[in-house]
Amino acid sequence: MRLRLPVSPVESSLEGRAFVFSGFAVAVLAVVLYGQDYVVPAVAVAATAIGHVVSYRERGEKRGTRRQVLLAGLVFAALAYFLADSVGAIFGGVLPQANFAILLVAITSFDLKSRRNCYSSLWISLAILYLAAVYAWDYPFGILVGLWAVCLAGFWAASHLRRMQARVSLPAKPVAAALGAALALGVIAFVFIPQANLEPSGPTLVSLPSYVGFRGEMENPALPLIQLSGDPSGSTTSVDLHYRGRLGDAPVMYVRTGAPAYWRGLVFDTYANGVWTASNHEFSILQPYVPPQLLPPAPPNNNGTFVQVFRVARPLPGVISAAYPIQSLYAPVSALREDAYGTFRTPDLLRPGQTYSVVSYLPNLTPAELRGDPYVFNAPNENPAYLATGSLSNQARKLAVQVTRDHSSNEYDLVMALTAYLQQNFEYTQQLGHVPPGRDPVDWFLFDVKKGYCEQFATAEVMMLRSLGIPARLATGYSTGEYNPVLDQAIVRERDAHAWVEVWFANHGWVPVDPSPGFPALAATQFPNHWAAAGLARLLPHLTIGGPLAALGSLGALAVIPPAVALALLVTLMWAWFRRRQRRSAVARRAPPGESELLVLYERVQRRLGRRRAPPETPLEYMQAPLAGPLRPGEVGLLEDLTEAVNEGAYAGRWPDRQRVRELSKRLS
Amino acid sequence: MAAAIFYYGGTSNVAWLYLLSYWIVALVVVAYVYAMWNRGLQAGLRVRGSESGEGSPLEALPERILAVGPAVPVFEGDRMQVELRIESGRGTRGPARISGSIGAEALAAATGVIPKQGWVEVRAIGPLRRGPVGARGWVLESGDPLGLFRYQGPGVDSELTLVLPRFAALADRSWPKEVEAGLAAPRAGSGTEMFGVREYRPGDPLRRIHWRSSARHGELIVREFEPPGVQVVGIFCDPAPPTPEAADQIARLAASEAWDCLRGGGRVALWAPGAGPTRPNESRSLWAVLEWLARYPGLAAPRGGASAGSGRVGEVDSSPPAVGDAIFVVAAKSEQIDEALGGIRRRGGSVRGWVVGDAQLDSDVPMQRAGLDWPL
Repeated sequence: MRLRLPVSPVESSLEGRAFVFSGFAVAVLAVVLYGQDYVVPAVAVAATAIGHVVSYRERGEKRGTRRQVLLAGLVFAALAYFLADSVGAIFGGVLPQANFAILLVAITSFDLKSRRNCYSSLWISLAILYLAAVYAWDYPFGILVGLWAVCLAGFWAASHLRRMQARVSLPAKPVAAALGAALALGVIAFVFIPQANLEPSGPTLVSLPSYVGFRGEMENPALPLIQLSGDPSGSTTSVDLHYRGRLGDAPVMYVRTGAPAYWRGLVFDTYANGVWTASNHEFSILQPYVPPQLLPPAPPNNNGTFVQVFRVARPLPGVISAAYPIQSLYAPVSALREDAYGTFRTPDLLRPGQTYSVVSYLPNLTPAELRGDPYVFNAPNENPAYLATGSLSNQARKLAVQVTRDHSSNEYDLVMALTAYLQQNFEYTQQLGHVPPGRDPVDWFLFDVKKGYCEQFATAEVMMLRSLGIPARLATGYSTGEYNPVLDQAIVRERDAHAWVEVWFANHGWVPVDPSPGFPALAATQFPNHWAAAGLARLLPHLTIGGPLAALGSLGALAVIPPAVALALLVTLMWAWFRRRQRRSAVARRAPPGESELLVLYERVQRRLGRRRAPPETPLEYMQAPLAGPLRPGEVGLLEDLTEAVNEGAYAGRWPDRQRVRELSKRLS
Repeated sequence: MAAAIFYYGGTSNVAWLYLLSYWIVALVVVAYVYAMWNRGLQAGLRVRGSESGEGSPLEALPERILAVGPAVPVFEGDRMQVELRIESGRGTRGPARISGSIGAEALAAATGVIPKQGWVEVRAIGPLRRGPVGARGWVLESGDPLGLFRYQGPGVDSELTLVLPRFAALADRSWPKEVEAGLAAPRAGSGTEMFGVREYRPGDPLRRIHWRSSARHGELIVREFEPPGVQVVGIFCDPAPPTPEAADQIARLAASEAWDCLRGGGRVALWAPGAGPTRPNESRSLWAVLEWLARYPGLAAPRGGASAGSGRVGEVDSSPPAVGDAIFVVAAKSEQIDEALGGIRRRGGSVRGWVVGDAQLDSDVPMQRAGLDWPL
């Protein structure tokens, strides 16, 4: 038995095809605007326009073998282009997948005969739009999405009308109202319906691989923006607390993410004389796609996973910044190197426009969860550097003991006590002078200036924790940045470069802890409320959408009363409005044509003339009676005509039609 | 589709996909509301006019007769213009589609916009065959512009029109002298009681001219009197023609004979065994005769007489009308007709007839043969 799809009808709607082409053009425009890709889209749009014309003209003809072979060959050529561009980067395109899809639409546009063919073209354009959406970081992209939805609706409508054998015309106002209502409904749903947090199917592949190999033992700097120790070309792995780079507002990278997180880069375990370094230089080389099997298993009581797509905005060191722990990742490079601290690196600098995708776990790091972890007395991975206190002064050690004296029942409380102490008693500033020569930066921070930036806070906490026997290390990277919960994306700027602490917990491994004032001490322990309304509410000052909800929640079961009253009020108002409208329309139906309009016009004329007709006065008497002032030439004739029309209507029942009243009204104006 | 896009949005965290999926769902919801709003349409079918085919008797009929006939008389061979109408009654609506069949022809028409004053499309159908033309299977569909929801309105099935048989004057044809004399139509002026007027024909006495009517109509009009000696001419049709084509030809011949008789001032009664005769008060109405013939042989009994079609014959008065003279038009021998003709002859009436086809009738009645071609 052969499985065959039912025959799809020939698409004869020119308008429907125009909408299909428009949908494609919208998707291509999105790629051009947000992917900065120009050549292939421009050529493809022109070819597609020609293809649609050819397809429409020959829609009733049988498919020729030669053309089929030619088109199949072109599809394979496009595939070859895609592979060549992906593997060798020979065309230098930014979005090879999008370009391949665009070419596919252009080629198949010469063979769009049936409705199903047109649908296929439309779906490919949707895929193109999706690829552009990964690159879109602002709200105007919604206009393009809306235009595409309109094109889809237009194709449906045009094709449907053509199948009905009707001309493609619809009641303009009702259809415009319906379309507007649909768009508004969609936006409302988008704003108020919590977004689903489904299991990521895998890293999103959108970028062009770069097949540059690792060069020697070069190690890129972690964050050249915040510490410039050693060679500025990036051949060192250190953080020097004696220096601080300037941090601007320029975007460093865009992150499309299912949850806000810290984007961790390099980790350091050895501190000496104000400089952090990494003691372990071992690494392993992995393929560009690292599946979950090659990475550590999910942490205990894991909340789930979320995908992040990073788009690099300016040249960055070849370090994969991402939310840790990582479940799987894909970076479009020839190979990845995983260092001893679990950080992934690329062979070369990350170029602007390059993207990579990471799927991360969201571990359950609630206080209750962490309080159950016992103290750890051994350095993890048998690395003594995690407990080394180095040159930490006795004064600092005593301070650590003093701060945590009453909080040593468990490791979590102890860590939080020290974190809270630093956050509450020290000032965060980026305007910090130079550390005096010979003075340890930690002591200078703790006892002299009592203010600093993230490295000072993190370093002080790491060293003080180590002095208490708790393994800790310095983590660097970027804070979440400007997170937009509506679009699930974050814009990470230079000023978001950050350093924090990772503390080892027996059951949960390395747990990020941030002692810098103004930052949450613990990382997010649950997925954000993917409720766009909450995100929009943030845009409005002094408006918190959670406030009313919390107030309602405090009422318990009685909380249903206010919404019920509001709903009843709304229904009553709508019912009253509907009844009023019905009555008005019924009155309008009963009224003779033009009666009400004529009387309204007659009233206007009376107002214009400055004297109202007295109740016992007939229209004729009113016309002949002296008025407030002399009439202008046009008004005399109008009053005569109006009087005659009112007389005929009132006494003979022959009211003028609406057109006649409109003519009279025009004369008045 | 929306679910697929939503799922993809959920697994890739591209929020725009949520928005797109919501928009698609919203389109569906709004389409449903629109389809509900677009209900309540009314469809109608009407014969708007006709295009006369070659040889149509419509051209030959005088205005006076046309004035008392159906609004749009349609004869076989004509094309008729059918008006397909959709009305909203509640302002502009659309889209809607009306489809069904008229006779054997399937028709469909649709529009995207139905104005407040209604939407009309005219379709020409034909050439038509004799008989009732029914509108069957007509359905009015309305819905949303996207084609997602559809509402089926009430049907508008009805008998649209009655296609009348063609006819032509047969009076010029050569007949045996005695038959012609026996059936000569009475002329105006032969009675005493005036019962109407008609157009002037050569031979009418000038004193019968009704000058006032002539002045009003612009042509000579004469008074017509009840001809006291004129009897009703019966036209007896074959109760069961062998083929539809033979039935058509019988109807044409009968209509032509009736036309000859009526325009001569006579009266006609049509009858077929098993079918009721035309009503006596319609014996001077050409249109009543044509309508009876248009439905012929719808009420006729099957060949073989009352015993074969007892159930149907019993429903109507199948006895022959009381007439003075008779003309039969048959395709085969019919005992009932023979019996009726015999009675007329016994009463002194004259009888003649037409035989359609090659059937051999063992009768001494003067008769002519006709094939299936028209005109003869």
